[in-house]
Amino acid sequence: MLTRRQFTTTLTGGLTGGLAAGLVSPGRGNAQGAAIRIGSIFSYTGPAAFLGDRMKRSVELFVEETNKRGGLNGRRIESIIYDAASESTKAVLAAKRLIEQDQVEVIVGDGNRSDIGLALIPTVQRAEVPLMSVSGATGLVEPVRDRAWVFKSTVNDTEVIARLLDFFKKRNIKDVAMLNDTGAFGVSARDQLRAQAPAAGINVVYEEFGPADTDLTTQLTRIRGTSAQAIICWTVTPAGVVFLKNAQQLGLKQMLVHGFGFVADRYMQLAGDAAEGLVLTSLKFPIAEQLPDNDPIKATILDYKARYRAKFNEETDVYGGQAWDGIGMVAQAITRGGGSERGKIRAGLEEHIRGYRGVGGIFNFSPQKHWGLAKSDVVMIEWRQGKFRLVDL
Amino acid sequence: MSAANLLQFLFSGLVVGAIYGLIALGLNIIFNATGAVNFAQGEFAMLGGMLGASILSATHLPLIVVIVLTVVTVTAIGMLMERLVIRPVRHADVLNLIIVTIGASILLKGGVMVTLGKNAAGLPAFSGERPIRVLGATFVPQALWIVGVACAIVLLVHLFFSRTLVGKAMRAVAIDRETARLMGIDVRRIVMLSFALGAAVGAVGGIIITPVTLTIYDAGTMLGLKGFAAAVTGGLGNTFGGIVGGFVLGLLEAFGGGLIGSAFKDVAAFLLILLLLFVRPRGLFARAESERV
Repeated sequence: MLTRRQFTTTLTGGLTGGLAAGLVSPGRGNAQGAAIRIGSIFSYTGPAAFLGDRMKRSVELFVEETNKRGGLNGRRIESIIYDAASESTKAVLAAKRLIEQDQVEVIVGDGNRSDIGLALIPTVQRAEVPLMSVSGATGLVEPVRDRAWVFKSTVNDTEVIARLLDFFKKRNIKDVAMLNDTGAFGVSARDQLRAQAPAAGINVVYEEFGPADTDLTTQLTRIRGTSAQAIICWTVTPAGVVFLKNAQQLGLKQMLVHGFGFVADRYMQLAGDAAEGLVLTSLKFPIAEQLPDNDPIKATILDYKARYRAKFNEETDVYGGQAWDGIGMVAQAITRGGGSERGKIRAGLEEHIRGYRGVGGIFNFSPQKHWGLAKSDVVMIEWRQGKFRLVDL
Repeated sequence: MSAANLLQFLFSGLVVGAIYGLIALGLNIIFNATGAVNFAQGEFAMLGGMLGASILSATHLPLIVVIVLTVVTVTAIGMLMERLVIRPVRHADVLNLIIVTIGASILLKGGVMVTLGKNAAGLPAFSGERPIRVLGATFVPQALWIVGVACAIVLLVHLFFSRTLVGKAMRAVAIDRETARLMGIDVRRIVMLSFALGAAVGAVGGIIITPVTLTIYDAGTMLGLKGFAAAVTGGLGNTFGGIVGGFVLGLLEAFGGGLIGSAFKDVAAFLLILLLLFVRPRGLFARAESERV
């Protein structure tokens, strides 16, 4: 069933030549100037598709622009992208195919969901192929000892939760409720909160819901009976909209907070009034225009947005930016590290990504740290009058 | 636990239960005519929501016109599905039919994803969004629509089955297909009619819940499963059983989640249903005459 669903996209300057996966023979020449094969796994169908679409396009855009400029170290990039369809099993099959059949040097994109990314780790570790993850869970890159081949181009939820707790302390909020979905993204954030909240002196009550749930009034009613001053919801699914609507229905006065997987205009619009005043943890991307001009990544973000808009005639988002950063850093590891073999890319990522200005923040990788961003790359924003606004830099 | 909270759980359970009940009703209609469980029933509801939202945003017609257009379209899709997918395998046994409906559900899901997109969609609430407050508990006006329309549809379907000739013919087919055929009933037409009716009920359900729950191309899977659980709880094939089963499931979820903890929401509900089926293996409202061998 793999071949039917999946399409290989070869990029040779033009955008997409949609060839059936089986038709592409590796044709791996050893001659100087052979293409550098970069594999990608995104979910551009299935529930995680709203993230994966722009990620895939961002990779396509990067490859096209790089090849126009003459490639990396004089070699063209050949990009092979498979659809994980939001399923771990499909993603693992795609990874094996990329590694064994297509013989890629590196994989950028982990199916864009934490649980899918986690499922890929054994495969890439065993085959010793670098994987650039684009998902949130800390477990993707920690402990580094067992994740030697895995890197990520977005923030860890460790830092996001730390940033959120700082914000609560600043606002004098001592009691909060955590309402996470039962997917890997929600559960990972809950575990981080459990680990960090006591030291921050913040009391948390925990509730949860299924990612496909259509009613959260039961959970919110339980939370209503506690002393929580703020309610955090952690999900990437439309259930997060139901959360906002149900909170409005119950007349909850608490501060409502969403995690960094929910920063999407479309979700805000679906929630209507109920989203007014919602606080979100986010990277700087959605409020780039409001950043001071001396912000180190403002220009990077605006530049990426403009290029994406020019190419696809639609707006990109922070998640597309994660893939953009992922392939950008791999490219830098290849050019600065001086090699495109699997092991050299890995070493290049560890040694040559220092102060990298991505659209997600300033990346610093090291042998001990395979996630690039820090607490300072996370900002607090709110949704007010139809726009995301910066609340706390 | 305060009385207001208990009342809130009751409201939540009734609304969610009505949703499950409507899916169960559609399942039962088709089950009666074919003896098969239609696993694409949740997709009919998803189609109702997705098509409604798409038509509304594309045309900006009045909501009532959009609703009628949507229900007609989904009904046509249901009939088409019967003609193209179900009828060719009508001589196969029930298990094959069920597998065919699973295939159809995947097809519908994929079709919607490709044509209407992967994003979640919503519809405006029929009578505004200002919450109604009763003794400290609240519900949105749309909740009244959901519960009201669900009950009205059950009643209409019941009247249709008990008072009209066509409805009686459908029941005759449910009881004994061969005898019904010998009595001059066109079984094929009845089967198609059951799909039309099942699709229409699903579409209406999908439209009335979308303002509250939103919908997305793969929302049908979960709805279908919960609806199936409701139908089994009430007794497969029983018109009233389906809606009662829906309410039972919805209330169990709300009170299980509310009193024990949200991690136990689904566990509590399904555990109780399992127990219930141990005691009454054929559901709450099993009828002797609907026995199938």
